[in-house]
Amino acid sequence: MDGPQEYSQRMSKIRQGMRDQGIETLLIFDSGRHNFLRMNYVAYLTDFISIGPETILVVPAENEPILFLTPSWDIARAKDESWVADIRPFKDFWSLLSKLSGKIGLVGREAMHIRLHDEIVKTLKRAPVNAKDLIENIARRKTEFELERLRKAAAIADAGVQALHEDARPGLKEYELAAIVEHRMRSLGAEDNFGMVVAHHHNSALHPPTARVVEKGDIIIGEITPCVGGLFVQICRTVVLGQPPPVVEEKYAILKRAMRLGMDAAKTGAPASDVAAAINGTLIEAGYEKYCRPPFMRVRGHGLGCGSSAPGNLEDGNETPLEEGMTFIVHPNQYLPETGYMTLGDTVLMTRSKAEPMTHSSWDLYVKD
Amino acid sequence: MIFGRHSVLKRGCSTWDPKQFPRAEFESRLDTVRKEMAHRDLDALVIYGDNYSFADLCYLTNYFPKVRGGIAVVPRDGALSLLLNIGSRDVPFAKTLTWVDDVRASNQVGSAGAELVKEKGFAKSRLGLVDSGEGFPLPQLEEMKRALPDVQWTNEDALFEPARLKKSPLELNAMRAAGHLLNAVCEDAQKVIKPGRKEYEIVADIDRLARDAGAEDIRILTGEKRLQPPSFKQSADVGNHWALYLAVQHERYWAEAGRTYVAPGDGKLRAAYEKAREVVARMAAELRPGNPVAAVDDIARRELGEFYATAAVYGLGNGIGLNQWEAPFLNDDDARRVSAPSAGATELTENTTVALRVVFETEGKLVMFGDSFVVTQNGPVSLTSKT
Repeated sequence: MDGPQEYSQRMSKIRQGMRDQGIETLLIFDSGRHNFLRMNYVAYLTDFISIGPETILVVPAENEPILFLTPSWDIARAKDESWVADIRPFKDFWSLLSKLSGKIGLVGREAMHIRLHDEIVKTLKRAPVNAKDLIENIARRKTEFELERLRKAAAIADAGVQALHEDARPGLKEYELAAIVEHRMRSLGAEDNFGMVVAHHHNSALHPPTARVVEKGDIIIGEITPCVGGLFVQICRTVVLGQPPPVVEEKYAILKRAMRLGMDAAKTGAPASDVAAAINGTLIEAGYEKYCRPPFMRVRGHGLGCGSSAPGNLEDGNETPLEEGMTFIVHPNQYLPETGYMTLGDTVLMTRSKAEPMTHSSWDLYVKD
Repeated sequence: MIFGRHSVLKRGCSTWDPKQFPRAEFESRLDTVRKEMAHRDLDALVIYGDNYSFADLCYLTNYFPKVRGGIAVVPRDGALSLLLNIGSRDVPFAKTLTWVDDVRASNQVGSAGAELVKEKGFAKSRLGLVDSGEGFPLPQLEEMKRALPDVQWTNEDALFEPARLKKSPLELNAMRAAGHLLNAVCEDAQKVIKPGRKEYEIVADIDRLARDAGAEDIRILTGEKRLQPPSFKQSADVGNHWALYLAVQHERYWAEAGRTYVAPGDGKLRAAYEKAREVVARMAAELRPGNPVAAVDDIARRELGEFYATAAVYGLGNGIGLNQWEAPFLNDDDARRVSAPSAGATELTENTTVALRVVFETEGKLVMFGDSFVVTQNGPVSLTSKT
C-alpha cells in the first residue's frame, strides 16, 4: 500500500469513529515533542512530524481537514511531507475554532499545556471530549506501510550494533562510543535515536554517556533506538572489551535464557504480562528475585511510539492481549550483583501466532579482543 | 523563532564539573530567587522542566532531564527537592548532575509532587508555579492541583527572567565553551559538505563532530531552498549550495550559528552570503548596554529591505543561554510566548547573550548567516570567535 492510500484509510477509520461517537469535529494536537513511548497523533494521521510547540489538525466530519502549525516557516515542509492540502499558521486556528458547533473531540490533551487548553475551552465555551482512544484503537496493529519503515529502522539498529562491534576500543570516552553508534545510524537515514551506550566494569544502570574513558575489561551496554519516519525500533546488546571473566559469560547466559523464554511466552492472544512473568521466572529460578523489582528492574519491555505504543509496558498486571501486528521490545535487561547491569533485547512483531524478532544481531555476548 | 527537531533523549555527554559550576554559584542564584519569592510573598516554588525546556529548573539545580520531565520544589527557606519522572534505579546517575541532595523518582509527577508539597508543609500556602517551557503535562498538573485544594497558586513563569538575563562570569565561560565548540564544528563541516553527498550523510557527519567534542545536545536544520530538520525523507543530493543552522548545548548552555556553504565559482550567491554576514554584523553593532532591543530589528529592517519579510519569518534573533530562545526577544510575538517584556520596552544590559540570524532567499536559494554574542561595555563579542 502506498502513502496516500494508507493515510486515506486511516482518515476513513477516524471519520467512522467520529460518526460512531457523534463527534462533529476532531481537534488533534501535538506539541512538537516527538516521543518514543507515546503516540504522535498528528504524525500518525498526516506523516508530518512537527517541530513547533503548537500543531492542531482539525478534522471535520465531512469537509477536508486543516492543519494549523507553528512556526509558520515550517508550513512549506508540511505541505511537502503531508497529504493535507490546507495548511495555515497556528494563529488562524482561533477564528475557525470560534465558529465550530456540535460535539468536539480532542486528541493529544496529555501533551497540551494548561494555558492552551484553557484558551480552547474559553473559545468553545465548553470543554472538548477526550477522544484519544479513537486513534489509539485503530493504530494498535501496524500496517504493511508502517512495517516497511520499521524494517528499515530495524536494519539500521543492527548496523548500530555492528558499528559498536567494529569501532569500540579502550581509550575512547563514553560519549565518543555513543557517537560511533549514532553516526552509523544517521548515515543510514535514522532521524533520531533514543540511545544510551555506556561502559564500566560494573554498570549500575543504563544512562546517557559521561566523559569516562573506556577501559579494557569494561562491559559496554547499549539500548539503541533509531527512528525512521517517526517510528522507533529498539535493540539492546552487550559487548565486552577483552576476554570476560567466566562469571560474566555464566550470568549473561541467564539473560539469553530469559530472552528465549520471554519470546516463547509472547503468543498472539496471550496477555503482555506473560512475557514479563517468563523473564522474571527465569531470573527468580536463578536466585535473583529481589533484583526483578525496583530499584533494580520492573519493566521487561514496552511498546514503541509514534504509532500506537500498545501493548504498553511488559510488566506484572498488564493484561493487554498481544495482537497480530503489534510491535514492541522484549528486553530482559538486568542488574546482577556479580556482573552489574547487562542488556539484551529485540523489537518483535506479533505474527498470527507468535513474536518474530525484527532485529537480527546475534544474542551472544560480543567479546572484542 | 527558530525551532529544531527536539531529540527524544538528550544522549550527548552528560556530566557536571563542580569546578566549573561550584555549589556556591547555585546558592547565589537561589538567594536571588528567594529574595524575589519574598517580594512576591510566595512560600515555595514548583518549577517544571523537561528534556525540551529545562532552563528554570536547571538554573537552580543544574539538573536537566534527559527524557520526560520533573519538578523542583523550592521553599523560601529550607532544602530543595527534585522529583523526576525516571526509574528509581536512575536516581544515582541523576545525582551526579545536581548539587541537590534530595532527588526522588516517580512516574506520577502530579500526584507524587502533591505529596512532596504536603510533606514539606505547604498544603495550605501560596505557591508559585514556574513552567515557562509550557511542558507540564495537563493531566499531571490537574492531578497535582486537585490534590492540593488549599493551595493558592500563582503563575510565575517570568520570575527567573531578570536573574537569567544577565549572565554570570561562570555562565559566560560556559557559553564561550559552547560557542568555540560550535565554531569548530562549523569549520570542520566545510570538509564534509560536498556536492553529490546525501543530505542525511552530511548531517550524520556534522552531528558526529559535535558529539565527539562533548556536546550534550544538537539541533540541525539544513537545506537549499528552506531549513528543515533531519528526516528520512531528506535524501536529496547536496548541490552547489547548502544552508546550515546549528545549535549545540554544552555544559547546559546553548550557542547558535548559521552558515551557508557555496561552491567556488558562484559569485552571486557568495555576494548574497557576504550581505547576510554584513547585516548580522550591523545588527550586532547595536548590542550595547542601554540600547533598546528594538534598535537591532530596526537595523535589520533598513539593511534587508525587501528581504526583511523572509528573514523575520525565521526570526532575526533572541536571547540565548540555558534555553535556545529566551529573553530578550526582538519581536513581541516571541516575547508574549514566555510572558517576557515587549521588545519595545526592553533595553540591553551588559552580559546579556543574544543569537542573531539573517535568512533570506535569492533566486530560490536560501542564504543564512548567524552567530551568538555577549553584550559588553565595549560592544558585542562573538561567543564563537576564538579571540
